[in-house]
Amino acid sequence: MLKTNDLGYWYDRQENSLFEHVDLEFKSGTSYAIVGQSGSGKTTFLSLLAGLDKPRAGQIELNGQPINKIGLTNYRKSHVAIVFQSYNLFNYMSPLNNLLTAMAVTESSHKGDKAFAADMLRKLGLTDEQMKKNVQKLSGGQQQRVAIARTMCCDAKLVVADEPTGNLDEENTKFMIDQFQKIAHEQNKCVIIVTHESDVAKACDHSYRLAKHEFALES
Amino acid sequence: MNFFKRAWLNLTAKKGRSILLILVTSAIMLFVLAGLLIRNAADTATSNAKKSVGATVTLSANREAAFKKMRSSTSTKKSSKPKLTTSPVKLSDAKKIAKLSNVSSYSATVSTSANAKGFDAISTSSSSSTGGGMGMKGGMSSSSSSGDIAISGVTSTASTSAFEEKSSKITKGRGITTSDEGTNNVVIESELAKEDSLSVGDTIKLKATTGSKKTYTMKIVGIYKASSSTSTQQGPGATDPSNSVYTSYTFANTVKGSKYKNTADSVTSNVSDPAKVSSVKTAGKKLINTSKYSLSTNDSSYQTVKASMDNVKSFADKIVWLVAIAGTIILALIVILMIRERRYEIGVLLSLGEARWKIVAQFFVEMVMVLIVSIVIAGAGGKFVGNKLGQQLVSQQTTTATTSSTSTQTQGGQPGGSGGAPSGNSKPSGNMGGGGAPDDSSSSSTSSTKQAELDVSVTVLDLVELGGFGLAIMFLSIMLASGGILRLQPKKVLID
Repeated sequence: MLKTNDLGYWYDRQENSLFEHVDLEFKSGTSYAIVGQSGSGKTTFLSLLAGLDKPRAGQIELNGQPINKIGLTNYRKSHVAIVFQSYNLFNYMSPLNNLLTAMAVTESSHKGDKAFAADMLRKLGLTDEQMKKNVQKLSGGQQQRVAIARTMCCDAKLVVADEPTGNLDEENTKFMIDQFQKIAHEQNKCVIIVTHESDVAKACDHSYRLAKHEFALES
Repeated sequence: MNFFKRAWLNLTAKKGRSILLILVTSAIMLFVLAGLLIRNAADTATSNAKKSVGATVTLSANREAAFKKMRSSTSTKKSSKPKLTTSPVKLSDAKKIAKLSNVSSYSATVSTSANAKGFDAISTSSSSSTGGGMGMKGGMSSSSSSGDIAISGVTSTASTSAFEEKSSKITKGRGITTSDEGTNNVVIESELAKEDSLSVGDTIKLKATTGSKKTYTMKIVGIYKASSSTSTQQGPGATDPSNSVYTSYTFANTVKGSKYKNTADSVTSNVSDPAKVSSVKTAGKKLINTSKYSLSTNDSSYQTVKASMDNVKSFADKIVWLVAIAGTIILALIVILMIRERRYEIGVLLSLGEARWKIVAQFFVEMVMVLIVSIVIAGAGGKFVGNKLGQQLVSQQTTTATTSSTSTQTQGGQPGGSGGAPSGNSKPSGNMGGGGAPDDSSSSSTSSTKQAELDVSVTVLDLVELGGFGLAIMFLSIMLASGGILRLQPKKVLID
C-alpha cells in the first residue's frame, strides 16, 4: 500500500541526515511500530508518511503513485488519518462535533451522519452525555479515544499515530493498542505507530527500529 | 460549507472573546456610521437648502452704464452739473424673465416718499426734514425732494426680505398682497400707529413731494413691527424707520408720477433651484437691454449653507476614512492575535487536509457574524452619536460662516443702506439712493443668518452602506492577517 523509495531527510546539511536511502513497505490490514531513541528521527519519518512534510531525498508512493503527485493536502484529506500524542482536537467543540467536522473536511462517506459518529464514540466507551460536552472537559484518555474515533470515521486507509499512548495510563494504553489492532485487522487499514513503549511495539504486527540513520526490522 | 458551521461553533463556544470582538467592532462601526450619517445628512441639508433657501435674480437699472453716460455728458458739457439718469424697470421686461424655466415667482419694488398730512411723522434728533439720501448727495439726486414718509411699493410684503427674515412682523391686520394692486391700501409701522393713535381701518393722507404733488387718502390694512435692529440702522440724515410704510408698487408708482406706470425700481425673480441661477441670469440677459438694465444674482444664502455643509461633509468623510483605516488596522491586529492563539486548530485542520482558503474563509465568516451583530448595535446608537456630532459640527460651521459673512458686510459700510433717509425719487433712480424703503430689496444682507440643520436618521440604505464598509474592513483585516495561516506548517505546530 505505502512504499518509501530511497527516502532521506535532513535539516541543514545532508551529512547530518536523520536517515537516508530508506526503502520500506507498509501493507493494508497490518499494524507497524516504529521505535527508536528520542531524536532519532522517527517522528520526522512519520510526518513524511503523513504528508505533513516533504522528504529531502527519495519519494513515498501510495498504491504506486507518488504522494507529491496526489498533492499533500489531497493526500492528507483522502488517504491518511493522524493521531497525535497531544490529541489535537478542536477545543471549542464537543466530541460529536469533532467527529462531524473531521468527516466533513475529509469528505468521508459518512459525512453528516451524526448517528454513525455517535455510535463510533459509544464503541470507544464515551457516554451520550460525554459526547456532547466540550472536549476540554474530558480526561486525557477520553480525549485520545475521541482522536481514535476521528480516524475511524474517516475513509483514510492509512492511520499514522505519533506516541498515541504517551500521555495515557496503563489501562488506557491497553485499550488504545486494542483499538489500533481493530482498525488494522477489522477495517483493513494500514496502521503505523511511532512509539517508545515496548508494550505498544510488541502488540503491533511488525516493528522497525530507527537507529544510526537506518531502519531495521525487529519483529 | 463546513467552515460556516465551524465559525458558528467557535463564536458560540468562546462567548467572552466573541463579546469583546463585538464591542470593538461595534465601536468602529458606530463611528463609521456616524460619519456616514453626517455626510448623508449634509447632502440632504444641501439639497433641502436648494429648495428652501432659493436664490434671486434682480432686474434693476444699470447704474454702471448710467454713470458712464453721465461722465461722458459731463466732459462734453462742462458748464452743467453732472446728472445721473437711470431707467426704471419695465414690468413687461420683468414678466419675460419670470417666464424663464426655474423662475418660480417675482416681486416688484418701488421706493419713493411723501409728506404726512393730517398726522405726524416721527422725528428724531438726527433726522432732518430736508435730508436727502446719502447715496444721492453731491447733486446726483438733482431735483429730488424727499418727504418724511418713506413709501415702499411692493408686490407683497411677505416676499420682502424684512418679512422673510422676520425682522419685520405684521402685528395687526394684514400685509400687502397682489390683490392690493391699484388700491391705496397701506401697512404702517407700529410706532407710527401708536404715535398718531392709528389702527387698522383708519385712513391717513399723504402728499406727494414730486410730480403733481397730489394728496392721497390711504387706508390702513395692517400694522407691522420692525425689530429693534432694523429701527436702529439709521444713517445720518435719515428719516426714522418707523416712518416707513408699505403700499402696493402701483400706488408707489402713482406717487412718483404718471410716467412710472408699469415700472418698478427693481424686480426680483425667485429661482427655485439655486444651482440654476447662473443659467437664468444668462437667459435673462438675452431678454433685456443690458445698456439700460442689469441683472444681478443673489444666491448667498444657498452658498452660505452649501459652504457650511461642504465643510461638514468633508469632515464627515475624513471621519469615515480615518475610522475605516484605523478599524482595519485594529481588527487586523486582533485577527493576527486570534490566529496565533488558534494555530493548533489551524494545524489540525491542515492535517485533516482542509484547504487553506477555507480556513481563511472560516475566520472571515466569524468576523462577518460579529459584524452583523455590531451593525445592529451601531444602528441603534449611530443616530444618537451622529446627531450629537453633527449638531456640534453644524454649530461650529454656522458660527464660522456667519462671522465671515458679517465681517464682509461691515466692510461694505452703511451709506445708502437700509433704514436711511428716503431718497424721494423725483428722478427714476430706483432704490439706489438713500434707500428709505424698509429693507425692501436687500435680501443679500441677511442671508448669512440662515442656518442649515442636520436631520440625522438611520435608514436601511445607511445600514447597507455601513455593511459594505464593514465587509471591506473585515476583508482587508483578514487578508492582512491571513499571511500567518498561509505560511503555517502543520508539522511545526502539531509535531515539532
